[in-house]
Amino acid sequence: MMGESGTGESGFLADTALAIVAAVPVTLALFVACAVGASLLAGVLVAAQQGRVGGLVARAWIFVFRGTPLLLQIFMVYYGLAALGPVRHGPLWPAFRDPLFCAFLAMTCCCSAYIAEVLRAALAAIPPGQIEAARACGMARWTLGRRIVVPQMVRLALPAYGNELVMMLKSTSLASSVTVLDVTGVAQQVIAHSYRTVEVFCLAAAVYLGLTAALTWLLRRIERRLDPAGGR
Amino acid sequence: MIGDDVALPVLLGFGHDGWALALIAGAGLTMALSLTAMAIGTVLGALLTVAQMSRRGWLAALAQGYGLVLRGVPELLVVLLLYFGTPGLLAAIAALAGLPAPGSPPAFLTGSVAIGLVSAAYQAEVFRGGLLAVPRGQVEAAIAAGMGPFTRFRRVIAPQVLHHVLPPLGNIWQFNLKDSALVAITGLAELMRVSLVAAGSTRRPFAFFAAAMVLYLVLTSASSAVFRFAEARAGRWAGGR
Amino acid sequence: MTETRPTVLRARGITKRFGDREVLRGIDLDAARGDVVSILGGSGSGKSTFLRCLNLLELPDAGTIEIAGSPAPLAHDARGRARIANPRALNALRAKTAMVFQNFNLWSHMTVIDNIAAAPVHVHGMARAEAVARAHDLLDKVGMTGFAGHWPRQLSGGQQQRVAIARALATDPDLMLFDEPTSALDPERVREVLDLMRALAGEGRTMLIVTHEMAFARDVSSHVVHVRDGVIESMGPPALMFGPDASPVFRGFLSPP
Ligand SMILES: Nc1ncnc2c1ncn2[C@@H]1O[C@H](COP(=O)(O)OP(=O)(O)OP(=O)(O)O)[C@@H](O)[C@H]1O
Ligand SMILES: [Mg+2]
Repeated sequence: MMGESGTGESGFLADTALAIVAAVPVTLALFVACAVGASLLAGVLVAAQQGRVGGLVARAWIFVFRGTPLLLQIFMVYYGLAALGPVRHGPLWPAFRDPLFCAFLAMTCCCSAYIAEVLRAALAAIPPGQIEAARACGMARWTLGRRIVVPQMVRLALPAYGNELVMMLKSTSLASSVTVLDVTGVAQQVIAHSYRTVEVFCLAAAVYLGLTAALTWLLRRIERRLDPAGGR
Repeated sequence: MIGDDVALPVLLGFGHDGWALALIAGAGLTMALSLTAMAIGTVLGALLTVAQMSRRGWLAALAQGYGLVLRGVPELLVVLLLYFGTPGLLAAIAALAGLPAPGSPPAFLTGSVAIGLVSAAYQAEVFRGGLLAVPRGQVEAAIAAGMGPFTRFRRVIAPQVLHHVLPPLGNIWQFNLKDSALVAITGLAELMRVSLVAAGSTRRPFAFFAAAMVLYLVLTSASSAVFRFAEARAGRWAGGR
Repeated sequence: MTETRPTVLRARGITKRFGDREVLRGIDLDAARGDVVSILGGSGSGKSTFLRCLNLLELPDAGTIEIAGSPAPLAHDARGRARIANPRALNALRAKTAMVFQNFNLWSHMTVIDNIAAAPVHVHGMARAEAVARAHDLLDKVGMTGFAGHWPRQLSGGQQQRVAIARALATDPDLMLFDEPTSALDPERVREVLDLMRALAGEGRTMLIVTHEMAFARDVSSHVVHVRDGVIESMGPPALMFGPDASPVFRGFLSPP
């Protein structure tokens, strides 16, 4: 304790900061993969909700994944599914043995349920008169979807969708619970042999704060791009 | 505890080898943990709202900064930080006062405070939105009618704010409930922890995680029913809008 | 309704039910090129429903429609419910018409110029440059020069409605349908829209106008139609309808006791 002053102290913090920053790509990769996967899956869920049978399946999916903790879902995929014979002896076993893949799978399913709700609300918020105006001038179904419905939906959904993305970025830290070495995972690893809990977790928190701030800034810019009139 | 040879219904049952009681007790602790966290969040959130709307610039900035940090950092880190950080912090405070180190506070306390700190950041936003949603003119009308601050709050502001904040508060409650699972890492025997222990000792993770999921679904859907009922009541109170 | 001009609209026996309420009970209406038909009637008499049946925004339960020589692709299933027989023909039919709504319905994610150019480009397949050039001409015509880059919510109601009319004109429609185009406007904005519609009538546009503006109906239209309880109670040229020989029912509607 006594000897660990001056350069030793700042040296430890610098080393830890470097190690944590080096794990940022893992966190970001997990986030981007989940963002893409969950958004696509959410689109499918919303489309399925337009039909009767698909609607039931989509509703059940959303109910289960929004109603249970993500941590439990991650454990379910990583430990629970692995205990099942068909998974353990199936062709996908190499994937299900990989904690990163399991975290990705659980997070994608979970976030797709939240994003589907956002998209559904946006769809319902499109002024029906504007769709009618498009039909009245003879727009074909596909053109109407592409030129009127989707652009409006994107604009209406963006603020809430952005919130979901920020939540998702923070949730990537749960991957550390199944031994993924993301920012939180590396922080825990450092703590395991240094016992400097508070400093290390604060460093990790600062990194997440920077990441979420950057994401929020990016989303705000996109929002402004899409709607230059800015709600005036 | 028991090996692979015991049948699943027995493991999930109420008997000597069954985990049903432990799981239900875990669900009860989850509920208690979330309720405590929600209450901490409401009190702190209300204080933050007042601070945010304060004319003192530094106070408003402080409240705003609190919100930015707590909403920008993973909940898991907050839980970990509090769990591992408080013993040291308490020891430091005790040392300043010349007392011996008090040891670790109970996991229930650090867990509910951690979730409550995060919850407060979100609840403050909700309260502020609710206050801003009351038209300024209505408050002026109440002043003009000679209502004092308390009557004004009780009769004009509170009913409308409640109507606006109940749906988002319901959302925050759901998040509290699910975030409480993070406290499992501190060893507190709430639902997530119990299912982990059961999964480990019976080597039947699928069954026990599924059982925990069902229990969480019961908790989340029951509480959303309660909130729907409250929203209907508050809607009538606020004039059926 | 004169023999020499081509028929643009031919509607026969239009019937429409909502649940067990029969809102339209067999309406026949013709319009020749250049006709300006004002449709008057009390609230809930079925005027909007009739107009919306013509471009099949509502599907009539019975009746036939023909616009500029093309029949509406309506079919009825075994239980008598109406359905679209051919989506392609439906869109082709709608492309010949244009509708102006009471609350404008400009697309809020497009600028003024894109609102006007959208149908020419995405329905009629016109080149974008040409559509934009024509949209600028139309903006001049409706007195909105210089607003091309504005967003709908930056405009007043009267300005939005003039843009909506420019949007309707952009496809050079055979038939224009107006559903109470001035009802959502402040009194001082009503004039600017009515003046524009008067100019369109003068150019020989074929227009069906649901309106409560009696002076406009009397001065501008070639025919006045009175709808009551889902049927045409009486119709004729304005000189007759607003004269002493009009049906007593219509006179009662104009000046209730
Ligand atoms: N989509 C619908 N579903 C059920 N009923 C409808 C629907 N649209 C219209 N109606 C009913 O049909 C009747 C005629 O409506 P319509 O809108 O055509 O009247 P209108 O003559 O245009 O009246 P107004 O002058 O008030 O606009 C009304 O009683 C209305 O309630
Ligand atoms: Mg109408």
